Amino acid sequence: MGDILGLIGKRLGLGVFILFVISIIIFFMVELLPGDIAQAVLGQGATEENLAALRKQMGLDQPALVRYGEWLAGAVTLDFGSSIVTGERVTTVIGERFMNTLFLAAYAAVIAVPVAIILGVIVALLRNSIFDRVANVVTLSFISSPEFFLGYILILFFAVKWQMFPAISSLSEGMSLGELLIRTFLPALTLVLVVMAHMMRMTRAAIINLLASPYIEMAKLKGAPPWKVIVKHALPNAWAPIINVVALNLAYLITGVVLVEVVFVYPGIGQALVDAVSKRDFPIVQACCLIFAATFILLNLAADVGAILTNPRLRHPK
Amino acid sequence: MTKRKEVLLEIKDLEIQGYSDETWVDIIKGVDLTLHRGEVLGLIGESGAGKSTIGAAAMGYARDGTRISNGSIEFDGMELTTASESEKRALRGHRIAYVAQSAAASFNPSHKLIDQYSEAPLQYRLKKRIEAQEDAMELYEKLRLPNPQEIGFRYPHQVSGGQLQRAMTAMAMSCKPDLIIFDEPTTALDVTTQIEVLAAIRDIVDEYNTAAIYITHDLAVVAQMADTIKVLLKGEEVEEATTKEMLDNPKEDYTKSLWAVRSFKRDQKERPKNATPLISVQGVDASYTGGAKVLDNVSFDVYEGMTVAVVGESGSGKSTTARVITGLLPPSKGEVLFKGEPFPPDYRNRTKDQLRQCQMIYQMADTALNPKVKIREIIGRPAQFYSGLSGAALKNRVDELLDLIELEPSQYYNRYPSELSGGQKQRIGIARALAAEPTFIVCDEVTSALDQLVAEGILRLLDRLQKELNLAYMFITHDLATVRSIADEVVVMQHGKVVEQGPKTEMFTPPHHPYTDLLLSSVPEMDPEWLTTLLEERGVDNVGDAATAQIDPNDPKIAG
Amino acid sequence: MSVFVIGYYTLLLAVSCLAAFYNKRQIFMVAFGLTLVSFILGIVGGTAALQAVAICAGLLGLAAMVSFAFREFLIQISSAEMGKELRTAPMTAAFGMFVIFVYIIMGIFAPWIAPHGEAEVIASAFAPADENMLLGADQLGRDMFSRIIYGARNSVGLALAATIAAFVLGALAGLLAATKGGWFDQFMGRVADVIMSIPSLIFALLMLSIFGPHIHVIIIAVAVIYAPRVFRLTRAVAGNVVVMDYIEAAQLRGEGTWYLIRREILPNSTAPLVAEFGLEFCFVFLLVAGLSFLGLGIQPPTADWGSMVRENATLISFGDITPLIPAAAIALLTVGVNFVVDWMLHRSSGLKE
Repeated sequence: MGDILGLIGKRLGLGVFILFVISIIIFFMVELLPGDIAQAVLGQGATEENLAALRKQMGLDQPALVRYGEWLAGAVTLDFGSSIVTGERVTTVIGERFMNTLFLAAYAAVIAVPVAIILGVIVALLRNSIFDRVANVVTLSFISSPEFFLGYILILFFAVKWQMFPAISSLSEGMSLGELLIRTFLPALTLVLVVMAHMMRMTRAAIINLLASPYIEMAKLKGAPPWKVIVKHALPNAWAPIINVVALNLAYLITGVVLVEVVFVYPGIGQALVDAVSKRDFPIVQACCLIFAATFILLNLAADVGAILTNPRLRHPK
Repeated sequence: MTKRKEVLLEIKDLEIQGYSDETWVDIIKGVDLTLHRGEVLGLIGESGAGKSTIGAAAMGYARDGTRISNGSIEFDGMELTTASESEKRALRGHRIAYVAQSAAASFNPSHKLIDQYSEAPLQYRLKKRIEAQEDAMELYEKLRLPNPQEIGFRYPHQVSGGQLQRAMTAMAMSCKPDLIIFDEPTTALDVTTQIEVLAAIRDIVDEYNTAAIYITHDLAVVAQMADTIKVLLKGEEVEEATTKEMLDNPKEDYTKSLWAVRSFKRDQKERPKNATPLISVQGVDASYTGGAKVLDNVSFDVYEGMTVAVVGESGSGKSTTARVITGLLPPSKGEVLFKGEPFPPDYRNRTKDQLRQCQMIYQMADTALNPKVKIREIIGRPAQFYSGLSGAALKNRVDELLDLIELEPSQYYNRYPSELSGGQKQRIGIARALAAEPTFIVCDEVTSALDQLVAEGILRLLDRLQKELNLAYMFITHDLATVRSIADEVVVMQHGKVVEQGPKTEMFTPPHHPYTDLLLSSVPEMDPEWLTTLLEERGVDNVGDAATAQIDPNDPKIAG
Repeated sequence: MSVFVIGYYTLLLAVSCLAAFYNKRQIFMVAFGLTLVSFILGIVGGTAALQAVAICAGLLGLAAMVSFAFREFLIQISSAEMGKELRTAPMTAAFGMFVIFVYIIMGIFAPWIAPHGEAEVIASAFAPADENMLLGADQLGRDMFSRIIYGARNSVGLALAATIAAFVLGALAGLLAATKGGWFDQFMGRVADVIMSIPSLIFALLMLSIFGPHIHVIIIAVAVIYAPRVFRLTRAVAGNVVVMDYIEAAQLRGEGTWYLIRREILPNSTAPLVAEFGLEFCFVFLLVAGLSFLGLGIQPPTADWGSMVRENATLISFGDITPLIPAAAIALLTVGVNFVVDWMLHRSSGLKE
């Protein structure tokens, strides 16, 4: 077991290191701004006094390295400073929105992951049949469609023509779960369609790859019935690729969520990011970027750890 | 042993097609086969003869991308070509079992050996789990696996290759089937390991009176195992006879030619007196980055115009030695001298002329030639690069080289490697080495990927070129037959050390170093009694890994 | 029962029976399956649902015919060897090639095809379609149809330029890393790891927020984001080639790095690299479209599909499909490229499946 713990520890260390490097990139990229933040916020017409005052207020008179240290120390305790546009604490602006985004992503994932994996396995078993070819064309089409295209089509039919679900996912305090699920159904469905297509294709490829192994042929030649070949011989070895596929696609969800939130005017962190970008509200942009990157890294980490834990060669060392 | 003459398997006019380039192509073109209970049939042929496909078909199984297009396969009165999938499945593992070439890949990495053993008996409700496990231990013991009580509870990757292959044989035996298909079960193993697996398979097949189809490309192996031998060529039967008949009195020309190979033998040359060796490897240690030592104090000389064969099993450091000499792997200690002058350890620091002197011919002609480059450039590039030839002079040189390797220049000049056969590709590889006008060529297992007849041709060509161009060869091989035919001197390696070296005649006459002895005696011979005799001489417990482990490092002959 | 419904079922049943009679199993299953589905659809959705099905089937049929004819056309105009390759292309790939062909023509000849200029205001805001404007007007009264034509040039051109930049950067680094190995390889691998740990859209947003939404910033940002992906693939493909003995032979001959890359490695990596180019283009195109949709792409008044969707999005709530057209244009090209890539990947992977 020592081997496994070592490997996992190494992988965790790498994750922390990458996150650290990314924090450097995110922080110092803003430093590359032509002029500085104060200039960017106040625009060309600002007077010297105003600029100096703002610089002092934002601590821009200190060297960049000191400010980075402070920012990082704050970020670790989830304190990202305050917005330079409204002056609100960044944490209050994005805290609740982050939970909303997580809810939407989880909603989509709960539907997409099981369905996609089951369909992916079925398609892999029926490979080269009509069903497989149709699935190939359909999934390719979904992958190729921008999220906003799918989103607006869903709005057109489900919200405008058939009036089954609301087009705008406004949330309010004290909504029942059922109400919440109905209100966020369309954005979740959009995400499900795209992510499911990706996941199905990857699952199919992973399973087909696995089914070509000599030990699968051996199992067939030992007279094992098809279900047993899959359940007993393919599945125990399929966990690593499947975990990988799931993590990759959950990571993909994170990106997709930004566009979907804008289409459905959903009060999530993605919207906050887009707003902040257009207003050049850098503390919020930095905070959002760091949160997204951290989630992304965490998911990849989880996938790698999962792959390590399910690898029989590592679980039962020589 | 008396064998009941009851027909178990009868294949008639079998035709199988494979799917390639959008069409179905015949790969088996009407083969008949009759197998009686308890009989062992050897299927032999070169690569692409369709042996393995027939083996799978005997279980009513067509691999992906193949289909049985015609003929009948009757197993114990049941027609497999028309049987339903579930009827066929009920036979597999129960009455017909399969032993695959690569045990390491064919065992499921997620389950313990013993669970994979008991899978079939449990599924057919022949035994309870505990009974099946006891059974397995008993079989493991019969197959002379170490720790038979315990080994089954390991995972495949925790067990060595030769042991896995025996564990797979045990697994095939789990339901005491009527027929076992052995698909090249020892091809991936070293010769010393091969023996223990062969001995185990033969014992177990004899003991349970199981019929078997033994598929291999190695005549000497099949001679030990089979009662009758069937020779295949490109999906068609050449001839079939009992083993003795087949060995003593082959009828067809093709069979005769198979038997006749390895007849090539040339005179042994002596070292020139008072000459500096062309290549001198002196006290070389080497390891791959971060790894353990792969070479340990390796020293030997190669003289001008002579052939030194470096022999050893996989992992003995033969190829690493070649990498040190060519400069791909700088040694951590020791040096390589060329005509008495030190050769820079890294090839990047060698001059063009030094690089030119030392060329290499590879084992796999497929990976040694760039598939996207025409023959004329493959051969022409070294001539252009080292000698600065161009235009008509270059073309003449390429023609000359193609003549030298016995290929018609006008025909091959503009072709791509993929349009050539295996032997022709290997010839192109030789021509590329010659184009540099070297004095020393490393031949890395150049014949082991080739069918025997073709390999013979390559050996003859290399010999002729050596005489004409006064080349020195370092011949890396694991095949002692090749050593016998072409070497002047032999270097035997084991675990990165040179265990014995000297002129060929000395090496093939006793007394030997114990490892050389083991290696020499482990090579199967064409005599059907060879394995029996060997086992009687050495005892069943003194073959393979066991024998290797028994070599006493303090043996006086090792010191000397 | 209208004449349409009777005709509809008669046709389907006739096709099913004919297929059954001539033992065409697949056609029969499709036709009869469709008949059964139609019964349910007809009961639930009425004639309208059946009409929708008929229109969809008609469109699919048309697309298939166009693809088939276009493939024949390509086979006719290309060399014998290419023609043989093309014959293996499935209908989807042929359709993809046709789509790409149409977009290329649209992009190159935009000023001649489009009836109006891309920034020309010719009507009132959201004016409906008339004989002058095929698809009506946008929020400023510009001709939608003309802007879509021009969009082919602007949106696709930008994505193409960004893809090429990413590809040159990534492929070069990948080939060098594979040939050189050692610390350079390790270092580039780590750099790629770090960049790929930031979700692409987020990274693009960060860069655009800092440097502003200019075309050259978009191209550089996309190149930085996607070069690591190309690097990984090229490194893997070239890595498989580099271990070949012929590379070792060339190295031992004393050949330089550039010769190795140009003559030995590149010719053996083109097929996967070309497929990867198509795949990367799809990703880049979707990313750039996403950015434009968020208002951070090509700035107005230049016509651009992503921003056209955003500008006209309000029409959706009136059930007008106009804003979907530029979005569909994006999807169609991506689908087309993906179809072609899918075929190429299938060819290069051989008969593994």
